[in-house]
Amino acid sequence: MKKLWTLASKEVLLAFRNVGMIVTMLVTPLVLTLAIGAAFSGGSAELADIPVLWLNLDEGVMAEMLLEVFDSPEVGELVALEIVEDETAARARVDANAVAALVIIPPDFSARAFPQGVAIQQQLGLDLTTLTDEKAMETLTPEQQQAIGMIFATTPQTTTEPAIIEIYASPDWRISTSVVRSIITQGIEIMNIQAKGITNVMTQMAMLQLAQSGEAPTTMLPGDMGAVAEPDIGALPVRVQTLSPTGRGFSWFDYTATGMAVLFLMFAVTSGGRTLLAEREWGTLPRLLVAPTPAITVLVGKMAGIVLTGMLQLLVLWGATSLVGAYWGDPLGVLLASLCLVLCASGVGALISAWSKSAGQAGALGTAITLVGAALSGTFFPRFNLPLWVQRLSLVLPQAWGIEIFSRLQLGRGLADILPWLGGVLLLTALYYGAALVGFRRQFE
Amino acid sequence: MALVEVKNLVKRYTPTGPNAVDDVSCEIQQGEIFSLLGPNGAGKTTVISMISTLLTPTGGSVTVAGYDVQREPLAVRERIGVVPQDLALYNDLTAAENLRFWGEMRGLGGATLRDEIEEKLALMDLSDRAKDRVKTFSGGMKRRLNLAVGLLGNPQLVMLDEPTVAIDPQSRRYILDYVKQMNQKGATVLYTTHYMEEAQELSHRIGIIDHGKLIALGTLAELTQLVGEHETLILKLHQSDGGVALAEALGALEGVYQASAGDGEVVLNVVSAQAALPPALAQAEKLGLSVRTVDIREPNLETVFLHLTGRALRD
Repeated sequence: MKKLWTLASKEVLLAFRNVGMIVTMLVTPLVLTLAIGAAFSGGSAELADIPVLWLNLDEGVMAEMLLEVFDSPEVGELVALEIVEDETAARARVDANAVAALVIIPPDFSARAFPQGVAIQQQLGLDLTTLTDEKAMETLTPEQQQAIGMIFATTPQTTTEPAIIEIYASPDWRISTSVVRSIITQGIEIMNIQAKGITNVMTQMAMLQLAQSGEAPTTMLPGDMGAVAEPDIGALPVRVQTLSPTGRGFSWFDYTATGMAVLFLMFAVTSGGRTLLAEREWGTLPRLLVAPTPAITVLVGKMAGIVLTGMLQLLVLWGATSLVGAYWGDPLGVLLASLCLVLCASGVGALISAWSKSAGQAGALGTAITLVGAALSGTFFPRFNLPLWVQRLSLVLPQAWGIEIFSRLQLGRGLADILPWLGGVLLLTALYYGAALVGFRRQFE
Repeated sequence: MALVEVKNLVKRYTPTGPNAVDDVSCEIQQGEIFSLLGPNGAGKTTVISMISTLLTPTGGSVTVAGYDVQREPLAVRERIGVVPQDLALYNDLTAAENLRFWGEMRGLGGATLRDEIEEKLALMDLSDRAKDRVKTFSGGMKRRLNLAVGLLGNPQLVMLDEPTVAIDPQSRRYILDYVKQMNQKGATVLYTTHYMEEAQELSHRIGIIDHGKLIALGTLAELTQLVGEHETLILKLHQSDGGVALAEALGALEGVYQASAGDGEVVLNVVSAQAALPPALAQAEKLGLSVRTVDIREPNLETVFLHLTGRALRD
């Protein structure tokens, strides 16, 4: 045990005395976290209360339906919406970077988005937003129902030109602007569903009225009623993945802090793994092997040193990034996740080292695996934006597991939620070390 | 009493390749300095690597203090100290940290290790550099520290593999003196070198190895007797080339036992240097070569090697 500690502490000492290693392990990830976090979050440490201006020029009621999307609790926390009326002043505030964006609803928005509904509103004075089911329709008089049927029969369902919602955005608030755009897109989808519901009810009523008057309904009905009768709820955008039930929102800064930590952990640990080959080149490996210490103790001691170095690296990065506002999650979860990840990453280092012929070859291979793994795992951009097959494929590497686990912790999940993921990491670790042992046996023999 | 027993030792690195060590047998007695002398690539390091348990023999057996290197490697390693030919130190650790690390790997600790570190640093004249990182040391200082590491724990058998290669004369003197000193304190030493002078100065017995075979074994006196009453005549030439032609011509003369050339000189193994000198000078003049110096030597290990292999030790 004492020899294991001697070997491990020597590894840590050598790692922390090497200026290049310090830069790789600590300085670079810290600087990159701060730089990327600052560049993509508009100076804000967290995506919350994004200042957005709302200018409604619509002459109909559809814009009001769209505005409802901002009333939900999740979106309400994310966006600080301010209704404005002066377009020039609003644009000036965006120009001055005082707000992230100005959303302008054009005057013809309702007319272009839902012409039949607007015609009903204008001609019959009915509030469309209340007429979304058959029960509501039963409150109408027979005359009103007949008039609606006629309007649907004579008014086009769509216009040739679409309504254009302008998002006048500050270039310094790129991520925030993307969030606003995604909220509005979701709002339009919800509005479409509501419009389809109204159309469905109205169409059924028109058919009934026309049938009673003896006219053939099929010649009177525009569009595919089968399709509108069954709105595709599953097609709604799933934006909830950036908002956790605990109330913690996605933060690019937090995400970058852990992403960079995992990336540079891989650099440091794969570099540590190749020290076994470097020891051979330094001549110290033969000397270790003729010391009265079993070869397996030498191997375990070295790997323990690499794990210890990796843990120290993650702890320092956790502390340092927390000081500047990054949130890593439940401390116990972070500690356990860090330990599992360091073990897994050291397994990759051991595997590379066991099957490489020289320290140089191991270094090149380690760098390649680390960088490709980072790209596939979502170190440089949100992982949930990657195609599903890439997300699954990347789970052969520790980086992907690290980002998955830390993202969960950052969104407020606890230790119990990440335990299955930690089990997966440990299984992967066992596979890596198993394959590495075969290689080491071959090398030592 | 034999501390090391080597019997019919064979090492082949590839199944169909040549024997790097070919049927070597010898014994190293307790308390003696035993040198393995041979040119580069003769198999000296391979022999040491097998005795130190680093390499597995292809055939034969080795025991150290009665322990078999293959069956009881840890028991063997507890009794040996190895000073490898290449430096085996951590450049980013200090001299004292290196000694502490390697001492702990030998199972030393506490006050014993602390005292040993101080003693070894003092012996190697490195006490004032104890807290400096090894990467700031000169080549000679690194060699001395490399030696000190191999001596930690005062092992029964110390194996030094060409410890004086590429170092300054002062460090070389340190190392040779220290080898003698530790032998006087009771350590058995296995020393490999291709420097004839070192083997002559240090050794109680010498084994001469060439192409993996142990071709001679004995004390210096026993080995030189192999050459008989011959003398060595060395002609240093003004010209750097032409030595080979002169050696070939002189090899045919009566009384010249062997002739070889290299580095602007011709080495003759002769029955009588006095008789061989006039015809040798005449032959040189005939070939257009001028002789700068003439050196006549009594038989030594160089002569022995030349006698046994037909080649100079440095070839």
